Amino acid sequence: MFALLEDAGFKRVRATIVPGFAFRKEATRDAAEAYGVKAVLFTAQKPGQ
Amino acid sequence: MTDVALQQAEEQAPLEGVIKGEVMRMYQEVAEHPAGEFHFYHGRRAAEMFGYASDWLDRAPGGAVASFAGVGNPHLRSRLQPGEVVLDLGSGAGLDSIIAAWQVGPAGRVSGVDLNPEMRAKAQAHARAAGLTNIEFRDGRMEDIPAPDEAIDVVISNGVINLSFRKRRVIRELFRVLGAGGRIAITDIVSAKLLSQSIVNDPKLWAS
Repeated sequence: MFALLEDAGFKRVRATIVPGFAFRKEATRDAAEAYGVKAVLFTAQKPGQ
Repeated sequence: MTDVALQQAEEQAPLEGVIKGEVMRMYQEVAEHPAGEFHFYHGRRAAEMFGYASDWLDRAPGGAVASFAGVGNPHLRSRLQPGEVVLDLGSGAGLDSIIAAWQVGPAGRVSGVDLNPEMRAKAQAHARAAGLTNIEFRDGRMEDIPAPDEAIDVVISNGVINLSFRKRRVIRELFRVLGAGGRIAITDIVSAKLLSQSIVNDPKLWAS
Protein backbone atom coordinates (compact mmCIF):
# COMPACT_ATOMS: atom_id res chain seq x y z
CA MET A 1 0.00 0.00 0.00
CA PHE A 2 2.83 2.37 0.90
CA ALA A 3 4.42 1.84 -2.53
CA LEU A 4 1.09 2.17 -4.30
CA LEU A 5 0.51 5.54 -2.66
CA GLU A 6 3.95 6.80 -3.64
CA ASP A 7 3.60 5.44 -7.18
CA ALA A 8 0.30 7.29 -7.57
CA GLY A 9 2.04 10.57 -6.74
CA PHE A 10 1.18 11.02 -3.07
CA LYS A 11 3.75 12.76 -0.87
CA ARG A 12 4.41 12.61 2.87
CA VAL A 13 3.25 8.99 2.99
CA ARG A 14 3.23 7.71 6.55
CA ALA A 15 2.24 4.31 7.94
CA THR A 16 1.53 3.59 11.59
CA ILE A 17 0.60 0.16 12.91
CA VAL A 18 -2.79 0.16 14.62
CA PRO A 19 -2.23 -1.01 18.19
CA GLY A 20 -4.69 -3.52 19.49
CA PHE A 21 -5.85 -4.88 16.17
CA ALA A 22 -6.51 -8.61 16.23
CA PHE A 23 -8.80 -11.12 14.67
CA ARG A 24 -11.36 -12.49 17.08
CA LYS A 25 -11.20 -16.17 16.12
CA GLU A 26 -8.07 -18.05 17.12
CA ALA A 27 -7.65 -19.90 13.80
CA THR A 28 -7.85 -16.65 11.85
CA ARG A 29 -5.51 -14.98 14.32
CA ASP A 30 -2.90 -17.73 13.87
CA ALA A 31 -3.10 -17.58 10.07
CA ALA A 32 -2.86 -13.79 10.13
CA GLU A 33 0.21 -13.97 12.34
CA ALA A 34 1.87 -16.43 9.95
CA TYR A 35 1.36 -14.01 7.07
CA GLY A 36 2.42 -10.95 9.04
CA VAL A 37 -1.02 -9.40 8.75
CA LYS A 38 -1.33 -6.01 10.45
CA ALA A 39 -3.77 -3.15 10.51
CA VAL A 40 -2.08 0.07 9.47
CA LEU A 41 -3.11 3.72 9.47
CA PHE A 42 -1.85 5.40 6.29
CA THR A 43 -1.71 9.12 5.79
CA ALA A 44 -0.53 10.94 2.69
CA GLN A 45 -1.00 14.19 0.83
CA LYS A 46 -1.57 15.08 -2.81
CA PRO A 47 1.03 17.65 -3.81
CA GLY A 48 -0.21 21.23 -3.56
CA GLN A 49 -0.20 23.87 -6.25
CA MET B 1 -2.41 -3.54 -20.73
CA THR B 2 -0.18 -6.39 -21.97
CA ASP B 3 -1.62 -9.60 -23.39
CA VAL B 4 -0.56 -11.48 -20.25
CA ALA B 5 -2.10 -8.89 -17.93
CA LEU B 6 -5.26 -8.87 -20.02
CA GLN B 7 -5.48 -12.64 -19.86
CA GLN B 8 -4.98 -12.58 -16.07
CA ALA B 9 -7.67 -9.92 -15.70
CA GLU B 10 -10.08 -11.98 -17.79
CA GLU B 11 -9.32 -15.11 -15.75
CA GLN B 12 -9.87 -13.24 -12.48
CA ALA B 13 -13.09 -11.53 -13.54
CA PRO B 14 -15.45 -14.36 -12.46
CA LEU B 15 -13.64 -14.73 -9.12
CA GLU B 16 -13.78 -10.98 -8.59
CA GLY B 17 -17.54 -11.10 -9.05
CA VAL B 18 -17.88 -13.91 -6.52
CA ILE B 19 -15.71 -12.06 -4.02
CA LYS B 20 -17.71 -8.87 -4.47
CA GLY B 21 -20.84 -10.87 -3.67
CA GLU B 22 -19.24 -12.41 -0.60
CA VAL B 23 -18.01 -9.02 0.65
CA MET B 24 -21.51 -7.60 0.27
CA ARG B 25 -23.03 -10.60 2.04
CA MET B 26 -20.62 -10.50 4.99
CA TYR B 27 -20.91 -6.79 5.70
CA GLN B 28 -24.66 -6.90 5.25
CA GLU B 29 -24.71 -9.59 7.90
CA VAL B 30 -22.79 -7.32 10.26
CA ALA B 31 -25.37 -4.59 9.63
CA GLU B 32 -28.36 -6.87 10.07
CA HIS B 33 -27.04 -9.05 12.88
CA PRO B 34 -24.54 -6.95 14.82
CA ALA B 35 -24.68 -9.40 17.73
CA GLY B 36 -23.40 -12.20 15.51
CA GLU B 37 -19.95 -13.77 15.63
CA PHE B 38 -17.46 -12.82 12.94
CA HIS B 39 -13.74 -13.27 12.29
CA PHE B 40 -13.19 -9.68 13.34
CA TYR B 41 -14.18 -7.62 16.34
CA HIS B 42 -16.92 -5.17 15.55
CA GLY B 43 -19.32 -2.77 17.17
CA ARG B 44 -18.57 -0.65 20.21
CA ARG B 45 -15.93 -3.04 21.50
CA ALA B 46 -13.89 -2.67 18.31
CA ALA B 47 -14.35 1.10 18.19
CA GLU B 48 -13.16 1.44 21.78
CA MET B 49 -10.14 -0.79 21.03
CA PHE B 50 -9.16 1.64 18.29
CA GLY B 51 -9.49 4.75 20.41
CA TYR B 52 -12.79 6.19 19.28
CA ALA B 53 -13.80 8.82 21.81
CA SER B 54 -16.51 7.65 24.19
CA ASP B 55 -18.53 10.79 23.65
CA TRP B 56 -18.61 10.08 19.89
CA LEU B 57 -19.87 6.55 20.55
CA ASP B 58 -22.42 7.75 23.10
CA ARG B 59 -23.68 10.47 20.76
CA ALA B 60 -23.86 8.40 17.54
CA PRO B 61 -26.98 6.36 16.75
CA GLY B 62 -26.72 2.93 18.37
CA GLY B 63 -27.13 1.08 15.07
CA ALA B 64 -24.17 2.86 13.52
CA VAL B 65 -21.97 1.92 16.48
CA ALA B 66 -23.22 -1.68 16.68
CA SER B 67 -22.48 -2.31 12.99
CA PHE B 68 -19.03 -0.69 13.03
CA ALA B 69 -16.61 -3.06 11.28
CA GLY B 70 -13.47 -0.98 10.88
CA VAL B 71 -9.89 -2.08 11.54
CA GLY B 72 -8.61 1.13 13.11
CA ASN B 73 -9.39 4.80 13.61
CA PRO B 74 -8.72 7.11 10.65
CA HIS B 75 -9.91 10.10 12.69
CA LEU B 76 -6.73 9.95 14.78
CA ARG B 77 -4.83 11.47 11.84
CA SER B 78 -7.49 12.98 9.57
CA ARG B 79 -7.19 16.49 11.06
CA LEU B 80 -10.58 17.45 9.62
CA GLN B 81 -11.37 21.15 9.66
CA PRO B 82 -14.73 22.97 9.53
CA GLY B 83 -15.86 23.46 5.95
CA GLU B 84 -13.88 20.60 4.42
CA VAL B 85 -15.32 18.15 1.90
CA VAL B 86 -14.77 14.54 2.95
CA LEU B 87 -15.15 11.25 1.12
CA ASP B 88 -15.69 8.13 3.25
CA LEU B 89 -14.75 5.22 1.02
CA GLY B 90 -16.72 2.14 2.05
CA SER B 91 -18.98 3.98 4.44
CA GLY B 92 -20.80 0.91 5.77
CA ALA B 93 -23.38 1.70 8.43
CA GLY B 94 -22.12 5.28 8.60
CA LEU B 95 -20.25 5.73 11.90
CA ASP B 96 -17.09 7.22 10.36
CA SER B 97 -19.11 9.48 8.06
CA ILE B 98 -21.15 10.75 11.00
CA ILE B 99 -18.03 11.50 13.05
CA ALA B 100 -16.52 13.28 10.03
CA ALA B 101 -19.71 15.31 9.56
CA TRP B 102 -19.52 16.51 13.14
CA GLN B 103 -15.94 17.63 12.58
CA VAL B 104 -16.45 19.50 9.30
CA GLY B 105 -19.65 21.11 10.57
CA PRO B 106 -22.53 22.57 8.60
CA ALA B 107 -20.19 24.39 6.20
CA GLY B 108 -18.55 21.09 5.27
CA ARG B 109 -19.86 18.02 3.53
CA VAL B 110 -19.37 14.27 3.74
CA SER B 111 -20.00 11.78 0.95
CA GLY B 112 -20.11 8.15 1.92
CA VAL B 113 -19.65 5.65 -0.89
CA ASP B 114 -20.65 2.02 -0.53
CA LEU B 115 -21.68 -0.67 -2.99
CA ASN B 116 -24.20 -2.27 -0.63
CA PRO B 117 -27.66 -0.66 -0.96
CA GLU B 118 -28.88 -1.89 2.42
CA MET B 119 -25.81 -0.48 4.15
CA ARG B 120 -26.38 2.85 2.41
CA ALA B 121 -30.00 2.88 3.56
CA LYS B 122 -28.93 2.15 7.12
CA ALA B 123 -26.22 4.80 7.01
CA GLN B 124 -28.70 7.36 5.70
CA ALA B 125 -31.14 6.49 8.48
CA HIS B 126 -28.37 6.81 11.06
CA ALA B 127 -27.36 10.21 9.68
CA ARG B 128 -30.97 11.38 9.86
CA ALA B 129 -31.25 10.07 13.42
CA ALA B 130 -28.14 12.07 14.27
CA GLY B 131 -29.79 15.18 12.83
CA LEU B 132 -27.12 15.65 10.18
CA THR B 133 -27.90 17.31 6.87
CA ASN B 134 -24.35 17.56 5.54
CA ILE B 135 -24.01 13.85 4.64
CA GLU B 136 -25.00 11.91 1.56
CA PHE B 137 -24.48 8.26 0.78
CA ARG B 138 -23.83 7.24 -2.80
CA ASP B 139 -23.78 3.99 -4.69
CA GLY B 140 -20.33 3.31 -6.00
CA ARG B 141 -17.29 1.11 -6.27
CA MET B 142 -13.92 2.14 -4.92
CA GLU B 143 -12.34 1.32 -8.29
CA ASP B 144 -14.57 3.91 -9.94
CA ILE B 145 -15.38 6.54 -7.33
CA PRO B 146 -18.50 8.57 -8.12
CA ALA B 147 -16.91 11.99 -7.67
CA PRO B 148 -15.49 14.56 -10.09
CA ASP B 149 -11.77 15.25 -10.35
CA GLU B 150 -10.26 17.27 -7.48
CA ALA B 151 -13.60 17.62 -5.66
CA ILE B 152 -12.49 16.27 -2.27
CA ASP B 153 -10.36 17.72 0.54
CA VAL B 154 -9.92 14.56 2.60
CA VAL B 155 -10.51 10.85 2.00
CA ILE B 156 -11.09 8.59 4.96
CA SER B 157 -11.55 4.83 4.76
CA ASN B 158 -11.57 2.02 7.25
CA GLY B 159 -10.77 -1.59 6.38
CA VAL B 160 -12.07 -1.50 2.84
CA ILE B 161 -9.32 -1.15 0.23
CA ASN B 162 -7.84 -4.56 1.10
CA LEU B 163 -11.06 -6.09 -0.22
CA SER B 164 -10.38 -4.86 -3.74
CA PHE B 165 -8.66 -6.93 -6.41
CA ARG B 166 -7.51 -3.70 -8.04
CA LYS B 167 -5.79 -1.75 -5.29
CA ARG B 168 -3.57 0.23 -7.65
CA ARG B 169 -6.65 1.49 -9.46
CA VAL B 170 -8.30 2.39 -6.14
CA ILE B 171 -5.30 4.45 -5.09
CA ARG B 172 -5.25 6.22 -8.45
CA GLU B 173 -8.91 7.05 -7.96
CA LEU B 174 -8.13 8.57 -4.56
CA PHE B 175 -5.48 10.73 -6.20
CA ARG B 176 -7.88 11.79 -8.95
CA VAL B 177 -10.73 12.93 -6.67
CA LEU B 178 -8.49 14.83 -4.23
CA GLY B 179 -7.76 18.48 -4.82
CA ALA B 180 -4.23 19.88 -4.64
CA GLY B 181 -3.00 19.50 -1.08
CA GLY B 182 -5.77 17.01 -0.32
CA ARG B 183 -5.17 14.35 2.31
CA ILE B 184 -5.94 10.74 3.04
CA ALA B 185 -6.33 8.99 6.38
CA ILE B 186 -6.91 5.33 5.74
CA THR B 187 -6.79 2.33 8.02
CA ASP B 188 -6.47 -1.02 6.34
CA ILE B 189 -5.15 -4.53 6.56
CA VAL B 190 -1.80 -5.33 5.01
CA SER B 191 0.17 -8.56 4.78
CA ALA B 192 3.93 -8.84 5.00
CA LYS B 193 3.86 -11.96 2.80
CA LEU B 194 2.13 -12.78 -0.44
CA LEU B 195 -1.09 -14.60 0.32
CA SER B 196 -1.29 -18.16 -0.92
CA GLN B 197 -3.43 -18.85 -3.97
CA SER B 198 -5.78 -20.91 -1.80
CA ILE B 199 -6.53 -17.79 0.27
CA VAL B 200 -6.80 -15.55 -2.80
CA ASN B 201 -9.24 -18.00 -4.36
CA ASP B 202 -11.41 -18.33 -1.25
CA PRO B 203 -14.10 -15.64 -1.29
CA LYS B 204 -14.92 -16.10 2.41
CA LEU B 205 -11.32 -15.65 3.51
CA TRP B 206 -10.82 -12.69 1.17
CA ALA B 207 -13.96 -11.00 2.45
CA SER B 208 -13.06 -11.50 6.10
